Amino acid sequence: MAFANARHCAGKSPSRRHTDEEGADRGSDGASAASSFSSSDSSDDLEPEWLDDIQKNGELFYLELSEGEEEAALVQQANQGISTNHVRFSEKEAEIITEQNKKQRCTSQTKGEPTLKKLARILRRKRRPSQRRGGNHGSKDSSNLSPPASILKNQQGQRQGVTVQQQQLKEVCVYLNPKRLGGSSTPLCDGGGLLEALLGVVHRPAWSRGQQDPALITREERLTVHGLIPNSPAIKCGQILIGDVLVAVDDVDVTSENIERVLSCIPGPTQVRLTLETVAPLDRASAGDTSSIRKTKASPPVSQLVRLLWGEDTAELQMSISHIPHIVMYLSLNLDSASPQEEEEILYQYPVSEASSQLKGVRGIFLTLCDMLENVTGGRIISSSLLLGKHLVHVGYWKDSNNLLVIGLPAERVPLLYLQTVVGDVVRTLKVMYGSLDSAFCKVDHASRLDHFFCLFFQQLIQPSRLREGSSPAPPPDISGTLFLDGLPAVRWLTLPPEIKMEVDTVLSDFESSDFGEMSEDFFGLRRLYVILGSCLFYKSYLIANHLPKEDLLDVCLYCQHYCLLPLASEQRVGQLVIWREVFPQQRANGAAPGYSQAQGRHFLLIVGLRHFMQCVLLEAGGCASPALGSPGPDCVYVDQVKATLLQLEVLEAGIEERLNAPPAPCLSCADWFLPAASARDRLDSLASSSPVFSKLASAVKGSSSGSRGRSLFGEKSWRASLQRSLSDSGSEGQMDAGSGSSSSVAPGLSPHSTPDSARKLGGRRDSMGSGGSDGSGGSGGLFKIPRMKHPNPFYLGTLKKTLTERETEEMYNTMKLTSGAENTLFHYVLMETVQGIFIAPTHREVAQLSGSIHPQLIRNFHHCCLSIRAAFQQSLPARSRRAADRPQGGGWGLGPVKEHGVLFQCKPENWTDQRKPAPTMTYWVIGRMLLEPVPQEFYVCFHDSVPEVPVEMAFRLSFGLAL
Amino acid sequence: MMMLQDGATQLLCLTASSGVPLFTRGASKQLPFSVIGSLNGVHMFGAGQGVVLTCCETEGGGKVVWRVFQDSVMLIAVSGGGHGGVGSSKEEEVRLQRLLENVWGCMVLVLGLDELVNLRNVERLKRDLRSCFSLIDELLEDRQEGVLGNLTHCADSLLPPNPTVLQEAVDGFAQAADSEFGCLVVHGRIAAATEKWWRLAPQEVVLLSALIRSLSVSGSASCDYPIFLPQGSPTVAHRLLRFQLLPGADVCVLCGPTPSLHGAETRLVGRFWSPLVETLRDCLAVGERCLLGSVSLRPDVLALLLINHETRRAVSCVRTSTYHYDAPLLSKARCWELLKLFYIFSTSRYFIQGETLCVSPEEKAQRGNTEDFPLGFSHQPQQCYLVTDECKSYGLQTPQHQLFLLILPSVPTFALRTLATQTLSDIVAATGF
Repeated sequence: MAFANARHCAGKSPSRRHTDEEGADRGSDGASAASSFSSSDSSDDLEPEWLDDIQKNGELFYLELSEGEEEAALVQQANQGISTNHVRFSEKEAEIITEQNKKQRCTSQTKGEPTLKKLARILRRKRRPSQRRGGNHGSKDSSNLSPPASILKNQQGQRQGVTVQQQQLKEVCVYLNPKRLGGSSTPLCDGGGLLEALLGVVHRPAWSRGQQDPALITREERLTVHGLIPNSPAIKCGQILIGDVLVAVDDVDVTSENIERVLSCIPGPTQVRLTLETVAPLDRASAGDTSSIRKTKASPPVSQLVRLLWGEDTAELQMSISHIPHIVMYLSLNLDSASPQEEEEILYQYPVSEASSQLKGVRGIFLTLCDMLENVTGGRIISSSLLLGKHLVHVGYWKDSNNLLVIGLPAERVPLLYLQTVVGDVVRTLKVMYGSLDSAFCKVDHASRLDHFFCLFFQQLIQPSRLREGSSPAPPPDISGTLFLDGLPAVRWLTLPPEIKMEVDTVLSDFESSDFGEMSEDFFGLRRLYVILGSCLFYKSYLIANHLPKEDLLDVCLYCQHYCLLPLASEQRVGQLVIWREVFPQQRANGAAPGYSQAQGRHFLLIVGLRHFMQCVLLEAGGCASPALGSPGPDCVYVDQVKATLLQLEVLEAGIEERLNAPPAPCLSCADWFLPAASARDRLDSLASSSPVFSKLASAVKGSSSGSRGRSLFGEKSWRASLQRSLSDSGSEGQMDAGSGSSSSVAPGLSPHSTPDSARKLGGRRDSMGSGGSDGSGGSGGLFKIPRMKHPNPFYLGTLKKTLTERETEEMYNTMKLTSGAENTLFHYVLMETVQGIFIAPTHREVAQLSGSIHPQLIRNFHHCCLSIRAAFQQSLPARSRRAADRPQGGGWGLGPVKEHGVLFQCKPENWTDQRKPAPTMTYWVIGRMLLEPVPQEFYVCFHDSVPEVPVEMAFRLSFGLAL
Repeated sequence: MMMLQDGATQLLCLTASSGVPLFTRGASKQLPFSVIGSLNGVHMFGAGQGVVLTCCETEGGGKVVWRVFQDSVMLIAVSGGGHGGVGSSKEEEVRLQRLLENVWGCMVLVLGLDELVNLRNVERLKRDLRSCFSLIDELLEDRQEGVLGNLTHCADSLLPPNPTVLQEAVDGFAQAADSEFGCLVVHGRIAAATEKWWRLAPQEVVLLSALIRSLSVSGSASCDYPIFLPQGSPTVAHRLLRFQLLPGADVCVLCGPTPSLHGAETRLVGRFWSPLVETLRDCLAVGERCLLGSVSLRPDVLALLLINHETRRAVSCVRTSTYHYDAPLLSKARCWELLKLFYIFSTSRYFIQGETLCVSPEEKAQRGNTEDFPLGFSHQPQQCYLVTDECKSYGLQTPQHQLFLLILPSVPTFALRTLATQTLSDIVAATGF
């Protein structure tokens, strides 16, 4: 069958074969890669795993964690002891591995038992690293030794065999996915059955173990673990040891008699609790702490988020926030006073809890206010604030024809300043998913789906930490940050090296051209089912390519944000994610510009995720494709094609990872460097000798100058500065677009001189940004700044050249060199390009690299401040934002249109114990600037106070390519 | 259709228990009774369910703010948004909250707490409340430009050219009138006051200033006005004696039964103040600038508000300079408005320190319902600035002072900070404010 798969694969598309080879070439990664291939390949032959999950209305939400996920979580959780144990373990086993191999080979040859054959096949597939463990298993099998081998067991004493053993029960949680069975080539009829296939526990019934003890042969036998299958859930949890006896599964007692039945009852991917009887040495058991440690590690965490997405467990999560007042209600404004029925006006309500019932009780207030205030002040009601006991609750309103959506949220989570954005986002998401609020709320069969939708919504806002828990040691949640970044009408963008970017774009374009065999119209002589309108690609929550119009991108992104798909892909390896549903892109639904009528079709969103990649495809039925009838489910061809695209892209993963690992550009500083901690003597000393700013500055100057000397004009590492380039480029773009004759006359003249290489790179990048500028102008911009690109600042020198005399330019350049401090005192930034709907911020990893105690605080503060800054911008703007889409915003001019707003903060180390000296302080700016011309942009930066004012001003001015 | 004009603010006062309307002030057209009833009704309904409605916002900046005082009086402020004078929603809410506090304060000031809390005869209360109207209207309309005390709860002050002379005169005058509380008000701002006067609660000082202003506008040469101090003695009345020294300059004392108005006017006023007429004239000449000519402000500064937390005093001025030919000059009224808005903007979002100090603990408990956005900051905001089309605004706070500046837009942004710190140190050095 494997051969068949391979052949099929080869015939299918050259690109996939390419990936396959690539996968084979990868050494250590090989095992997991191979396994994922096998599952994806088999999906071509067998019916896909997600087929059963398709709902009646054609929607599909299928999420499967990757095999590596649990292991990764374990490793993350485990303390040092475990990981060293791994090493020790493999070293020990390495000594006997040859012998075992020999033994195994001979057993498999002579006996030819089906189980062993299967084992051999597994071994072959999993290659070397797993072979060791497999061999280990084999040896246990053949020698039938009594001392339980320690697999991940850190028991030195036990190895010496001088232990008194004692029976003990332990509980182990493992994550099982019966759906994956189809993927592995394990024939279920084999001796092991589900126990082996699903759980990975090898239990050899007594009759097959040998005839030496016929007395043991009974129909009902205890399930002793005789072996563990590599890469199986059992071995990965690290808690199931050979020699243990499986007593119960989810509290159901099991024996060899009923185990298969019990396991076959597991319907879908889930976590089960196994009860095992284990032999533990007495001395160990007496030390209670170790067992407790083990217990904490015992439940391999599938994060709450994933469980929530799977649709489990919502009640428990909801319970935990039931004391915090929050509610969503959809109320009818058509109050029929004659109707006697109570609560008739409530069309939808969630959740049903004590605190929310209080809010539900006063719905009369909401209805009355909504009805009355419009007449009084001439505007629809937006929000009101209520005090429930000690809780301040903000209630946001959205009036939709004759109905009213009311969302109540605790004030400590969502400041009033940002409530409107949050409500606007929810409304837009609902509209994207259901077409209109009425169709979302007024259909009875939507109720459970809406419950799920709002459960996610409230969980994310009220207890984000709870959702993440279990997946990784989560940093304290940055609520303001989430609010701010999610509220931006933009998607987080990752700049990539041009080569990679170009490849990604090519692959995506290839896919979007729908030029694959089954989909072409000629192939079957049928109209194609769907037209691909465009797609966008995420890698670990960063958007890396987008071929969708901005509004569609934002629609898609809202959906992904709401279902936490982006963090999911970044924190956990997604085995497979397939989402299919009909969507109603807002731009298309609302009708485009007059004179141009868009094809009236139905739209479908297909999201496919594989590991860290996620591709969102917007499809159109009707129009040039055949019209969709009823509620069509996902089409395998399209899903497979997206998967193929993703597999093809996996080649690039290394490159993207390298980009993520690259030192941040522009350089970021950690706040802690500027603030000597009370304990850090050396820091204090260095402070005494010279200000840290100064020393950093000096080193930066040194570093950058040497860097620029050693660098060739178009060095390979140029992409490291890609962010600067994007900043400055956008500036140059603006310059060009602003279109004075002088600049454009310079540009084309110079561009031919740039090397083809640079032109290609820049072209690729510019293309990727989807900017309208010509390649020529990009090239010229490059020529101006490339010689200084290594120099870490976002200054665009082209402008300077133009406006200043030679001498001044030289002077300026020197200034910037000195204050390349401007970059080295940069703590954080967010740059949003409104036109393209993307924003750039330091990657999570860049931030993580700058660990420190104050820095995270600073970033939280930055985000909180950005909430305020952006609110100030929004207030002064007419309704341009996508999310408050169809609301006319009058907004008095009050302070007038705010263009720039900055706040200076002071921070002190938290635990300053030294009484004699005052705590050292550090001051830093958070500044936001909004530009409408030539390209709408918003720029938020956070930098140390020590930057001289002039360069800051210069940086702003130049990064935007604007002379203010 | 809109019942409330753009930018108009209407104040509704009802009894909290029964919802009987007591009075309505502000806005040319009164809201229909049904609307008043509904506005009160929703709040009462909520209170019955354990939900206290505090404020409400509509598109275009309209706002409604509810507040019940002492379980007896309900005040509702409704503002129709949508015109230039109104700030963004957040600023507007702060303004209305302050307004309600002040209106309640001045009701107590005039009528005493007893009459307001023990509502025995509603009709009589309605009649009595009419005596507050002039003061309430003063608060509602902000008639006098350049008085920010209602907002800041810091007494608007004027820095006289020779403070010691005036201070001695005020101290002596108060002592002679058997009082510890005396003050000299020039152009509606306090030029000098006795130690005890400054010890009054900030809100009381501000309300008394407002009262003196409104009495002074009436044009009488002197008056004897019974007042209650909202915090100091809400149930026992005192007498406020006010004497006009010169047009625009008034001296006041708070005293008990003696001396009589006539006696004080004949015996004391002439004795203490006639030698100082020239000094008072100098004071009046300082006028709305509040600051001496000796303090040289940079020409770029359009307007200034300086608050001293510790003494709870503030000086403010708008420059009526003539030499900004290049920039389209902001009107004086707009400058005051911008200054107010910027003050609210900064204090409601960042400068928590000043805000908490301004508020008495009791008030704080009552106002616990308003959201504290500034508390969300993990680090302390020190300074902030705004760049708008019209001007640049800069605010900074030190342990002792808060300074808010409006600066010409032509000044580069990076220079703002230096300019602001320089201005602060100049003023403090020159006046010791």
